[in-house]
Amino acid sequence: MIDLILPFRLWGASRRFYFAGFGLLVSALALAAPLARAATLPELWLERQKSVVAVEYVTETEADRRPTVTMGTVIDSIGTIILPSNAIDPRAATWQLKDFKVYAPGDVNGTPADYLGQDAYTGWHFVRVNESLRARLVPVTAFAPAGSGKAPALADFVWGIGLRTKDEDFAPYIMQSHLALIQSLPQRTGISQQEVAAPGLPVFDRDGAFVGLAASSFGQSYLQFAPGNRGAPVLLINVEESSAFILADEVLPYLQRIPKQVSGRPLAWLGAYGLEPMDRDVAKFLKLSSQSGAVVSEVLEGSPAEVAGLKARDIILAIDGKPLPQLKPDRVVVTYIEREVDRRAPGDSLTVSVLRGSERLELNVKLGDEPKLMREADRKYFDRIGFTAREFVYGDAVERRVKAGAQPGVIVHFVKASSPIAIAGLRQEDWIREIDGVEVHTFTEASAKLAEIERDEARAEVVLLVSRGGDTAVLRVKLK
Amino acid sequence: MAPAFGASSRKFNQLLESVVRIDVREVAFEAGARRYSASIGSGVILSEDGIVLTNAHVVSPRAVEVNVTLASLERVGARLIGWDHWTDLAVLRIDLDEVRRRGLKFEHAAFGDSNKLYPGQEVFAVGTPHGLTRTVTRGIISNNNRYFEDSRAVNGYETGAFNTWLQTDAAINPGNSGGPLVTGDGKVIGISSRGYLGANNLGFAIPAATARRVLEQLVSGGRIVRSYIGIVPGPLQDLENFYSLALNTGLLINSVDPGSPALKAGLRGGDIVLTIDGVKVDGRFPEQLPPIQNLIASKPVGLKVTLQIKRGAETRDYTMVTEKLESRVGEEWALEKWGVSVRKVSRAYARENQLDDETGVVVIGVQPGFPADVAGLSRSDIITKINQQPVTNLEVLKDAQAAYLAVPAPILLEAQRNRRVSLYILKP
Repeated sequence: MIDLILPFRLWGASRRFYFAGFGLLVSALALAAPLARAATLPELWLERQKSVVAVEYVTETEADRRPTVTMGTVIDSIGTIILPSNAIDPRAATWQLKDFKVYAPGDVNGTPADYLGQDAYTGWHFVRVNESLRARLVPVTAFAPAGSGKAPALADFVWGIGLRTKDEDFAPYIMQSHLALIQSLPQRTGISQQEVAAPGLPVFDRDGAFVGLAASSFGQSYLQFAPGNRGAPVLLINVEESSAFILADEVLPYLQRIPKQVSGRPLAWLGAYGLEPMDRDVAKFLKLSSQSGAVVSEVLEGSPAEVAGLKARDIILAIDGKPLPQLKPDRVVVTYIEREVDRRAPGDSLTVSVLRGSERLELNVKLGDEPKLMREADRKYFDRIGFTAREFVYGDAVERRVKAGAQPGVIVHFVKASSPIAIAGLRQEDWIREIDGVEVHTFTEASAKLAEIERDEARAEVVLLVSRGGDTAVLRVKLK
Repeated sequence: MAPAFGASSRKFNQLLESVVRIDVREVAFEAGARRYSASIGSGVILSEDGIVLTNAHVVSPRAVEVNVTLASLERVGARLIGWDHWTDLAVLRIDLDEVRRRGLKFEHAAFGDSNKLYPGQEVFAVGTPHGLTRTVTRGIISNNNRYFEDSRAVNGYETGAFNTWLQTDAAINPGNSGGPLVTGDGKVIGISSRGYLGANNLGFAIPAATARRVLEQLVSGGRIVRSYIGIVPGPLQDLENFYSLALNTGLLINSVDPGSPALKAGLRGGDIVLTIDGVKVDGRFPEQLPPIQNLIASKPVGLKVTLQIKRGAETRDYTMVTEKLESRVGEEWALEKWGVSVRKVSRAYARENQLDDETGVVVIGVQPGFPADVAGLSRSDIITKINQQPVTNLEVLKDAQAAYLAVPAPILLEAQRNRRVSLYILKP
């Protein structure tokens, strides 16, 4: 059995999920370096490794600085690099991401780089490296001579590059395989027999032409034998090398989606929560012969979907008149819808066809601007009390099933171990509603109050009203 | 002479003659099928006409067959008269016709006063630990006012909110459940209920004062009806200064259940209850909470109750109408043809899980390879609709299954997993 491991699995709950993919910039450069003679594979490899880099950055939290190393592909001549969507934890605020450094294969020292943000549609993170390294890099577009992707055929030879660890100076190495299968997930994705490239790095054909960008790897089932354990199934995921790659045609047209702001905004918003796919049996029962649909679990308060009249339990059948395709696995149809939204901008319109009971309706939705995300929420760390307070944002109201707006309080974003607040029993994601018996209405109000408590050396305790999973409790935090 | 002389007294012997072993066969709707299992517990006969008191976790409405082994080692049938999982008590009646027909005899025991017990006092537990009939173990009262509340300790049902417990070091093992805890004179001062697994002799019993009250109500009405307003109290301990309260005054409300009478009346977490219908309350310590909870629970259902509430500097009255207290655990059934066992969503379950209403059944098990499993349903999904019809009660499902058995055709289910709504097809 082969299970598809989508990036969101690796990161836990993420608002969106993408199948990681990369692309090529259609530029003048693309016309360079036509292949005059059949080069040997080592020759091709030497040249193409200039389009791959390792990227290191640090996530700064209250308690520590956590370094992460990921792989990226160079897409233009001004040092722009794309990283897979799961290269960065979606919960991290952009200001927590520090000290980006880019290493060409074999580099001992990194070259500083800037983080440019994430594109909602492709999921890619964009980084731009300082000028000093650019001369040694070759954009991967140089290997897509026609400026468009060359689709490999089944059983074609494909190869790619992996990079060793930082200790080994990110030494490049070659992987090779043959194309085994092409799937729509919903992007057309090639699956090779073995690992063919590190996730986020390009895949080439025999002639060295770019044919795709390696995505997150597949999980593969193995049996694990041990004393007293005879053949238990385990799912192994190779996170360093992947056998799945998004075909070049799904990559090339989107390379120019470099975020204008580090926040990745503007972000289009529909507000249909909990889209659930249907299997073919259900589609058949609902007399949807060759198409699929997705159930809307909830319609979010004040969202464009609500304004347009979408209701919970409506079944989305088509977008802009285009029926939802039957994709495998079934849940890919949800990604399909999300991508339809993400590739648009706030203010754009789309027509959603839904089935409500036995009635078919056409709803015109004008997409809105995504409400402030958790990663964009204000935060403040209080060292003496021992926690980080985070602004209550729209997503918090959705998670807690309460009305958005006019909700008092702050969210506990981080709890310092053995701090007064940890001893009192507060946990991450708890919702502080009252401080010392008084409702706190805004983040500013709450943080001012907490700062005052923090400063007051004489203070012995603070009493909080805390909400967790629908219940509340009064907690006494002893400060001395 | 050892101080345990009580164990050889005439009254103690009479007590021994009134202790029974209880064999229960019960049904469980697990994994999409009806499964039967057998268990052993203890009980004590408390009247001439064969009333037996035991634990609710020994005999529950799931019991399909109950047999009682008398001290004479003769076995007779018995039936459940009523149960109360909140206090972990159940009442059986021995089949007297059978007793007469076979010319059997039994003794009955009497309650002692559990309010007069003191820590260190010698007590005996009698029962059937691990099937060893009429085993007597000896110990002392370790604590006469132990608080513990558990939301699923009695076969998944809530317990302990309305009473405190006796703690003893008399050995209590599995099978002792439902047997009496007695003083040396053979008086029943508690019903052994549970012990800490892996601990040394930390056993617990329901005090006779509680048991006597519950027994009376179960015998007369077959059930105990309690009132509910929806407040979750917490001990006030160390918070008196913060709330500017006189010592030993008030009950802290930690939480108010969504949709409950208390919430509708405007109560909220952090409020302090000063009086309930004019009666002053003191909930400083956890042990003091059950009597206060019981005060509310003892009010008639559907009647107004007034709480004097202190919130910040302000004190005022809030009036609400009591509801009937319900368990989170609803009625269960197995739709065997589809291989799915279900439990009705109760009002308490719906509130706890922030569901819109009580529509639906919770999947408590699926049988591998059966239609529900093949369709993709799994444990804890909530089936809300069947062929577009809301599942308001178990009958809706039973009827649908009957129709399916008559004319097998695909069935469309709507179910919720966490908050996500999906559709499933049950295929013949």
